[in-house]
Amino acid sequence: MSSRQSQGTILFTALLALIGIGVVVQLWLLATSVDALLRHEIRTPVHAAIGSAIVFVINGLLVLYVFNFDRKIKQR
Amino acid sequence: MPEEKDKTKDECFECKKKRESARWREDFPVDWESDNYVTRREMVKFLALGSLTIAGANAVVAGIPHVVKASEMPRTRITLASAIPVGGSKLFSYPTEEDPCILIRQHNGDLVAYSQVCTHLSCAVIHNQQENALFCPCHHGYFTVEEGRPYAGPPTRPLPRIRLEQQGNEIFAIGVEV
Repeated sequence: MSSRQSQGTILFTALLALIGIGVVVQLWLLATSVDALLRHEIRTPVHAAIGSAIVFVINGLLVLYVFNFDRKIKQR
Repeated sequence: MPEEKDKTKDECFECKKKRESARWREDFPVDWESDNYVTRREMVKFLALGSLTIAGANAVVAGIPHVVKASEMPRTRITLASAIPVGGSKLFSYPTEEDPCILIRQHNGDLVAYSQVCTHLSCAVIHNQQENALFCPCHHGYFTVEEGRPYAGPPTRPLPRIRLEQQGNEIFAIGVEV
């Protein structure tokens, strides 16, 4: 395995862990949102939805970055 | 001779078993090892899809109160305005029979209504005329009559306010403000 490839593997694993953490945060936001909904609060679910959308965008960007990096390694 | 016959019978049974096993494998060509093997790439795709699904679920949860609020709040007659004296109160249910509420006429003559369910542990709050407050007898929580805000005891969130409408001498409940 070349150093570039091993660097790619480490990067891929690290980003995988970051995306995993993002998904856990989203799950927490969803739980909070449902809890607030059951308490008849209107604002909290909206804020949670905005937060969740931001986390999703970050996750999407990380996935795109990691696939671009992967493609570059394969081309070489 | 009968022994030979039995042997052939057994062999045929085994052949049949093998044939059935092969057919089963053709129907479900799942290799056990590759079935358990998940690559990082697949995992990232799975997580990204999960992230999208959860974001969608969050948006749905955020949208529910707005949709329900706009369409499902009934208009319910409570009582006659003249039936509530200054400082007096009346219990009613809104929006369903299982949601107890309290209507109060303040000292300035204005009418206010709140959900009777305490925001601490869901006991029923009562109107304390001497202290001009809504009082929860379970854990001694106090809410202001003017705004339904908690000012003493364990509750931290205000009582949901019932929106009222007066038509002539009749009072109607038309919605809930949280």
